[in-house]
Amino acid sequence: MEQNLQYFLIPFLNWDMMLLIWVGVFAGIWVGAIPGLSVTMAASLLISFTFSWDLNNALALICGVFVGGVYGGSITAILLNIPGAPAAIATGIEGYPLAQLGEAGKAIGLCTTVSVFASFVGILVLAVAAPVVANFSLKFSPRDFFLLAVMGVLLIGSIGGGDPIKGITAGAIGVLLSMVGMDPSTGELRYTFGNIYLMAGISFVTAMIGLFGVSEALTQFRNAGKGSPKQNLDKIIPSWATFIKYLPLSIRSSLLGVFIGALPGTGGDVAALLAYDQAKRSVRHPSRPFGTGAYEGIVAPETANKGAIGGAFIPMLTLGIPGDAVTAIIIGALYIHGLKPGPMLMIETPHLFWMIVSCLSIASIALMVLGLVSVKPFSKIIEIPKSIIMPVVIILSVIGTYAIQNSVVDIFYMIGFGIIGYFMRLYGYATGPMVLGLILGPMLDANYRRAMQGAENQLLPFLEGFFTSPISLVLTLSIVFLLFSQTKTYRRWRGIS
Amino acid sequence: MDDPKGSTAGAAVAAKDLSVYVPEAKRKPGEIGITVITFLLGAFGYYFALDMTSGEYSSPSVFPKFASTLIMACSAVNFWKAVRRERPDASAPSLAQYLLPMDVLVVLSLLVIYCVALPHLRFIGSSYAFMVAGMVYLQRGKHIVRALLISAGSLAVLVAVFRYLFLVILP
Repeated sequence: MEQNLQYFLIPFLNWDMMLLIWVGVFAGIWVGAIPGLSVTMAASLLISFTFSWDLNNALALICGVFVGGVYGGSITAILLNIPGAPAAIATGIEGYPLAQLGEAGKAIGLCTTVSVFASFVGILVLAVAAPVVANFSLKFSPRDFFLLAVMGVLLIGSIGGGDPIKGITAGAIGVLLSMVGMDPSTGELRYTFGNIYLMAGISFVTAMIGLFGVSEALTQFRNAGKGSPKQNLDKIIPSWATFIKYLPLSIRSSLLGVFIGALPGTGGDVAALLAYDQAKRSVRHPSRPFGTGAYEGIVAPETANKGAIGGAFIPMLTLGIPGDAVTAIIIGALYIHGLKPGPMLMIETPHLFWMIVSCLSIASIALMVLGLVSVKPFSKIIEIPKSIIMPVVIILSVIGTYAIQNSVVDIFYMIGFGIIGYFMRLYGYATGPMVLGLILGPMLDANYRRAMQGAENQLLPFLEGFFTSPISLVLTLSIVFLLFSQTKTYRRWRGIS
Repeated sequence: MDDPKGSTAGAAVAAKDLSVYVPEAKRKPGEIGITVITFLLGAFGYYFALDMTSGEYSSPSVFPKFASTLIMACSAVNFWKAVRRERPDASAPSLAQYLLPMDVLVVLSLLVIYCVALPHLRFIGSSYAFMVAGMVYLQRGKHIVRALLISAGSLAVLVAVFRYLFLVILP
């Protein structure tokens, strides 16, 4: 125990590491805020130029970028309705209406505070319960991941705008578009029409930038006469009472985030959407109706995607299995430095585990300071006239899209999705479900087929599995509950408006 | 922070800006057409899924067929709902006006020109031209010098940050 504490204190006593964490958080906030530039991309870049560094320093920088980057994605979602990353899609649903009301500063202030709280929840679970959570997450079968994806699909009711049928249409189109390209299981080409560019599929990040970024810019041009809302920046740090008010929701969403983050292959994006959905179902008296700027709709996804950071490290450090793309890159960094991530990592190199816990803790403190300091300058962005900011946003979207895989074709896709998104908005089809379909489509398809193959292509054994496996049973019952909770009977019973 | 009921209506309007041209209760120009387009998309999706390997519950064609069928079914419901809605007034904008007001049309045209010019003028040249043209048009021909300077400044910052700080390759 005493030795673990010594390991934990290493970064606190090492000025180089401390500085690198703060630099990482600062850079991460800006990288995360720009659509298309992802934390994954930043982490992979860092691996290349920290190759010759001491491992501790390299990890300190990457942990800082990770924490800052996940937070940064929410800034543009709130200010411009353009999520910097898929994990911030849900935040924009409530954050952007708040910015339109001149409350961007308060929204970002609350987002920062609860983000830091959730980071610490994730770190705490990582520190005290990592092996238990990791072993449990490994018990998930393809059928369970399929059920988890089905739960994700049910979110369309939450993010689909006013008309659920239009939301389902958009979501199904997203799923159909996610099928474009080479089938990862069999190598069969689907909907490629002999076009080499379609073989790699359609990146959901490209689609997201177009559907949110460019379509938002076009929508703004449609209302070019409307002035930019003046932002009230008097009181950006939420009061203690406000923090306490949102504490139960923060704890619930953070723990959900930790658990979803710990599942291999899922991350902050799914966690944030699930948390937003559960907040919408469970909060009886939101600060405003959901969809028009409810603070609860910021608290839930923000705490979930920050909780997922600690969660993603759990299977990585205990089993050598990455929880998400960034931890997969960190595993690569450990290999480069001669370590073998796996079940023996915590036994052979316990200092590494406690040092990462410590780096994440310092990064969360840095996030609190840098996040709150950045609120005012960030909030001023929204006051820039649309005629100036929107052309710059389009160019930013172009850079971000090109950076994904250095392809000019992606830029054309992105602009195409922007135009589609603009038309969708005109007719009341929300763009969120289409992105959700693009994200969850491959997860649904791959896990359903694996589960079906596990049942030897027999429908009855496949369905039986939903009720014979304890995890599947819980997930199936959760889905039934989610469906029931969308009925008017349930909402009347719970008194939810 | 927790007050804000009074401004709820404002937020709702802000979130629904696009409907300012046609009241919510009325059918929008082209609303039936969009349901036909989504139905056709589903039908094409299903048709091309027939070429994929099928026959088993885990075949690659299962999800494409499922998604296509869902799109067609939902489009049929959307079509029915659109047909039942009240027709737009005579004063409602035409389809072209509704879809592409002048500002959107100009920006879309600039975007298309930008896409065509990008491989030839490279990133800096085409982006600078796009930003200047967009800003000058949206400010109705005023502040040309300001647009030139802001575009140059913004582009310089973007190139410095992305190319040299984040080491991102530009188009």
